[in-house]
Amino acid sequence: MEILKTILSVTGISTVLTVLIIIAERFLNNYGECKIDINDSEKELTVDGGSSLLSSLASNKIFIPSACGGKATCGLCKIKVLSDVGPVLPTEEPFLTPEEIKDGIRLSCQVKIKKDIKVSIPEELFNIKEYHATVSRISDMTHDIKEYRLEFDAGEEIKFKAGQYMQIESKPYGKIKEKAVRAYSISSVPSDTKAVELIIRRVPGGLCTTYMHDHIKEGDRVRITGPYGDFYRRDDSDQYVFMAGGSGMAPIKSIAMDIIEKGIDKEMFFFFGAVGKKDLYHTEFFRNLEKEYPKFKYIPALSNAAPEDNWEGETGLVTDVMKNYIDTGSGKHAYLCGSPGMINACIKVLVSMDFKEESIYYDKF
Amino acid sequence: MKQNPKMKLIQENMQPGAYTAHGFLGDDTRSLKDILRTDDQAVTSMGITHKDIAARMMYFTEFGKEAPDSVVILDGVYEVLVDDHRGFIPCPFADNAKEFKSNTKLYNRDQDREIYWSDLNIHMISEHGFYEGQGSFFRTDPVDLAKILGLIE
Repeated sequence: MEILKTILSVTGISTVLTVLIIIAERFLNNYGECKIDINDSEKELTVDGGSSLLSSLASNKIFIPSACGGKATCGLCKIKVLSDVGPVLPTEEPFLTPEEIKDGIRLSCQVKIKKDIKVSIPEELFNIKEYHATVSRISDMTHDIKEYRLEFDAGEEIKFKAGQYMQIESKPYGKIKEKAVRAYSISSVPSDTKAVELIIRRVPGGLCTTYMHDHIKEGDRVRITGPYGDFYRRDDSDQYVFMAGGSGMAPIKSIAMDIIEKGIDKEMFFFFGAVGKKDLYHTEFFRNLEKEYPKFKYIPALSNAAPEDNWEGETGLVTDVMKNYIDTGSGKHAYLCGSPGMINACIKVLVSMDFKEESIYYDKF
Repeated sequence: MKQNPKMKLIQENMQPGAYTAHGFLGDDTRSLKDILRTDDQAVTSMGITHKDIAARMMYFTEFGKEAPDSVVILDGVYEVLVDDHRGFIPCPFADNAKEFKSNTKLYNRDQDREIYWSDLNIHMISEHGFYEGQGSFFRTDPVDLAKILGLIE
C-alpha cells in the first residue's frame, strides 16, 4: 500500500510538472507577430515569431538557396542580418569566415525570429520561384544515376541560365516522416521553359536521392524551387573547356547545348571522367552532337577500364587526359562540375596550365 | 540498460529519416549504450583502440582521395576507391561535427573481402567508438574491420 502511494505521488508530481513546463513553454516561446524588413523597407513581411528566418522567408515565397533543408549542413543559406539576433551559433561557425561574421552574415536556417529584424537580400534571389510539376519521364542512365523530366503545370514557365540548379522537395516515405530538400543541377536547355530535366546520382543512405531513385514514379507530383546558383556560362571566352564526372554532367550538358543553340561559334572540349564503362551515359547523345557541331568535342576518360569493357578511348585521370588536348589556358574558360576531390585536382592542373583562376568556374557537389 | 536523456537524443538522431534514409542502427534492438559497450569490449580484446582502427581507415581514405574517381592500388594488396557526394552530414552524437558525404570502398585482394565506410564512420569510430548497429548499411563488425584493414591476423 505504501509503495502504491509513493508511486501515485511521484506520478502525480511528474504530471503537474510536465503540465507546468508545457504552459511555460507556450508563453516563453510565444514571440507573437514579428516583422522582417528586407532591403531597407523595400519589402516588409509579417510572420509568426519562433520559426527560422529561412522558413519564414520561404513561407512568403522568398527562397534562399539551401541544399540541406535547414539542418546547417550545406552552408548555402547565408544572408546579411542587420539587426542583433544574438551570437553566431556553433552550428554556423564552420561555414562563416571572420569577415562574414563581422559583416553580419548568418545562416538563415539557424536564425530564429524572436523580434522585428532587418535583413539584406540580393535582388537576384527574388527571381527564385516555386513550381509545381509532374514527373513526365524517368530514365536510367547508369547503375546509380537517373535523369528526370519535370513538366510544369499549365501557365508556369521558367527562366534560367544554363548551369544553374533547382531544389526539389521529397515527400515522406517508408519510415521517413519528414520532407527533405536537396539541390540538383538542371541538364536541360534554357529555351525549354515549360520543364526542367535533372540528373540525380544515388547517395548511399541519402534522404532525398533514395526517394528520387526508389519511390518517385512517372506521373507523380513534385514541388520544386529555383533557379539557384552562380555557376553559369560567361560570354567572353575564346574556347570552352568542360570537365565533369558523375551527375556533374548535368550543368555541362545544359551549357554546351545552350552555346550551340545560340549559335556561338567557339570551340568546346568536354572531358568526362568515369571509373569504368558502366559509369558512362549520354554517350550517343554527345557523339551525335560532335557530328552536328564539329567545334564540339566529347572526350570520355576511364580511370579503371575493365578488360570486358573493351574500351578503346582515353584512359587515366581526366586531368591527365585533358593535358593531351589543351596546350595552354590563355584566353580560355574552364567549367568544372563533380566531386570536391575532382574539382580540386582539376583546378590545380588548370592553374599550372596558365588558366586564370577567375576564368575557372566550378560547382562542387 | 537505462540511458540518460543525451543518449536518448543521440539514439533519436540515429533513426531512419533524421540524418539518413536508413539511420545508423539497422535492425539492432539493443540500446545504444549496449551496442557501444559490446563493440568496445571486442576492440579492447584485440589489444587495439578505436583510434587505431580509425587512423588506419583514414590512411586508406586519404590515399584514395589523392586520385579522385579512380581505383588506386596500395601495397599490392588493397584497392581503394573514394566516392564523393554533394554536402555534409552531421554526426548523430550531437557534437557539432560534420563530415563530407564521402565514402571509401576498400578491397583486400589477399582476403578477397570488400568493406565500405564513410568519412562519418571514421569520425564516429575515432571519437565515439561507434561502428553502427547490426544490419545497418555502413556497419562492419570491429573484428572483421580490423582483419580486413590488416591490423590483426
